[in-house]
Amino acid sequence: MAGAQSRRNNIHGWAFSAPFLAFFLMFLVWPMLSGAYMSLTGTSLTGANTGFVGLDNYTEAFADSDMWRSLGNTLYFTLISTVPLVVIALALAALVNMGLPAQWLWRLSFFSPFLLASTVVSLFFAWMYNPELGLFNDVLAKMGLPPVAWLNDPGVAMWAVVIATVWWTIGFNFLLYLAALQNIPQQHYEAASLDGAGGWRQFFSISLPQLGPTTVMIVILQILASLKIFDQIYQMTQGGPGGATRPIVQYIFEAGFTGYRLGYSAAISYIFFGLILLIALVQVFFTRKRSA
Amino acid sequence: MKQQDSGGMHMNRRQVLLGGGALLGGLALGAGVTGCGGPAQAAAGDIRFWHLLSGGDGIKMQAMIDAANGQNPAFKVKPTVLAWGAPYYTKLAMASAGGRPPEVAVMHAARVPGYAPGGLLDAWDLDLLAEFGVRPEDFSSRIWEKSQFGGQVFSLALDSHPFVMLYNTELADKAGVLGQDGRLLEINSPDRFLEVSRELQRVTGKHGLSYGYLGDGAQMWRLFYTLYRQHGADLVLDPGQPARVERDVAIDCLEFITSLLDNNIATKSGDGGTAIAEFAGQGSGLLFTGVWELPTMKTAGVPLGAATIPTLYGTPAAFADSHSFVLPHQAQADEAKRRGVYQFVASMLKGSLSWAEAGHIPAFQPVVRSAEYAALDPQADYAHAAEIINYDPEAWFTGSGSDFQSYFAENVQNVFLGRDKATAGWDAFISRINTVLAMPNPV
Repeated sequence: MAGAQSRRNNIHGWAFSAPFLAFFLMFLVWPMLSGAYMSLTGTSLTGANTGFVGLDNYTEAFADSDMWRSLGNTLYFTLISTVPLVVIALALAALVNMGLPAQWLWRLSFFSPFLLASTVVSLFFAWMYNPELGLFNDVLAKMGLPPVAWLNDPGVAMWAVVIATVWWTIGFNFLLYLAALQNIPQQHYEAASLDGAGGWRQFFSISLPQLGPTTVMIVILQILASLKIFDQIYQMTQGGPGGATRPIVQYIFEAGFTGYRLGYSAAISYIFFGLILLIALVQVFFTRKRSA
Repeated sequence: MKQQDSGGMHMNRRQVLLGGGALLGGLALGAGVTGCGGPAQAAAGDIRFWHLLSGGDGIKMQAMIDAANGQNPAFKVKPTVLAWGAPYYTKLAMASAGGRPPEVAVMHAARVPGYAPGGLLDAWDLDLLAEFGVRPEDFSSRIWEKSQFGGQVFSLALDSHPFVMLYNTELADKAGVLGQDGRLLEINSPDRFLEVSRELQRVTGKHGLSYGYLGDGAQMWRLFYTLYRQHGADLVLDPGQPARVERDVAIDCLEFITSLLDNNIATKSGDGGTAIAEFAGQGSGLLFTGVWELPTMKTAGVPLGAATIPTLYGTPAAFADSHSFVLPHQAQADEAKRRGVYQFVASMLKGSLSWAEAGHIPAFQPVVRSAEYAALDPQADYAHAAEIINYDPEAWFTGSGSDFQSYFAENVQNVFLGRDKATAGWDAFISRINTVLAMPNPV
């Protein structure tokens, strides 16, 4: 009897899971396997196929300076965007949590840019960065400073993208931090006050340690989001000037869709996949150590 | 007309299985998305037409499609407009590779070598075209030559749209560089061009010339290639071999362009929007641009003259491309629809006077020879450009909105900005091109 019941449960379980499994296999597992195979072939977007080429695409990619440069740009963007997106979000959340009046207004102001589409944000900032007519250079001129070629100076362009990205996406991290701050029991602060701890002391000794798990989560989410950078760069600089902001995702797109070389493009995708996997493993290693 | 051969696109077992899988997925999703089909979906007899023309050009194109639909009750052309450049060409290539593209599409003629040899396009049947009143002799020689690939006609040009120079007649008059005939005085050397620009700058008090190039590889390439070809120099790209170029000429052209961008003659930091705004606001006397900006300037009320870029180096030449009709390869072409497409394209070519109003030079010569066209001012002043146009050097990766123009921007923008030497920028560009030429040809 028990065996029959368990079998029935199994059948029901599989039946309920089947739609999800079908989609999972069709749209995740199969494309992944298909992409892995494609990376070993000379498949072209035009349908031409030079057949199985083994690891040739990988060998070519490892020797491709543009691939390395794009990968470097992606890592650079991830580094310089993650730090402000975590630190400034924490600072804003802490400020709002101090009990400023009209809290809803602050929350709305910091979060609302996050709701905009990347195209809107990119257009908006591209105009503000315009060297001749833009707001930023106008402000600099009023301060008696020389104009900056925001999106056209290889040394500045990535920072210009980071400024736009921080403005656009910081609201999400801000909300996560604010929620976490509001979850810290008030008694801790009261007890600390009685012991004579000031505001800074309370922040560093109570708030920050209590925010540890939230910070880990935000950092992980942020690194993953930043590694995927594409939209705003493609729209603001097209990867320029001179490839100075081209991220790896754009390079994959260009190799496959405008260069027609799907096999090569798939190989770069897998190299990038390997890198993300490595970063994920490092994170798991450190978070495990932390919780152990 | 015979049923179109599906060429190398026969489905194999895996594709059938994949298609089946996609169909199942589609059916599963169907319940949720049927609401999106409805009115937007093409009816069985509709001819699907993809094009990349937006803004003023898009409005003109839609009016021409409406006119063609009105004249030919046998079919109804339903256009789909996609953003030009990589998004458009990528989607067109993918749709064609999948065997279910639109019945007809617009492409830049210079992009055809990246599509035709890969079997993504079908050739036009000249006999059927003649049946609808379109013959090879209706096109000027350069344009007709460009429509062919491997001895077959793969594209039918609606226009040629060269890179030209617009000028402000009032400012030119004040600067003393306008002739008795109301046209700009002849400029035939780089030094003379600098002089005229400086005269105009003195009148405007801002700049003499507007040239928007920042972040725009196409703009940088258009001016460069115009000047390069004016030297009579060639640029040949044969896959498997290094690019054949005249390096000294190229460097000379880059240095001349850089000398214009001195924040006096023209701003060093001009992008497309800034240049258009500056010229429209009478902040400069000259504008290097495509013919398609003509309506904008007329609307802005600029007292307008137009000419090809002055011949500074002896050989008249202008960079150009053509919006051309192509037949994306269909695995199963519908004969009746194909006939409709020919009829539609013939109507569009014959009705291209309206297209000329948008600034473009019609490719269909009977229109260019008409009295109505001669009366278009200032379009008629640069109609002769069709005789001196130069398309991109031929290769699978060149043409308007291609990677080739991006590579140019990547390496040359810093030269224009004065941050890099012309020799360094040019050599880096050619080195990039040689890398692509050395790769296996994916088409």
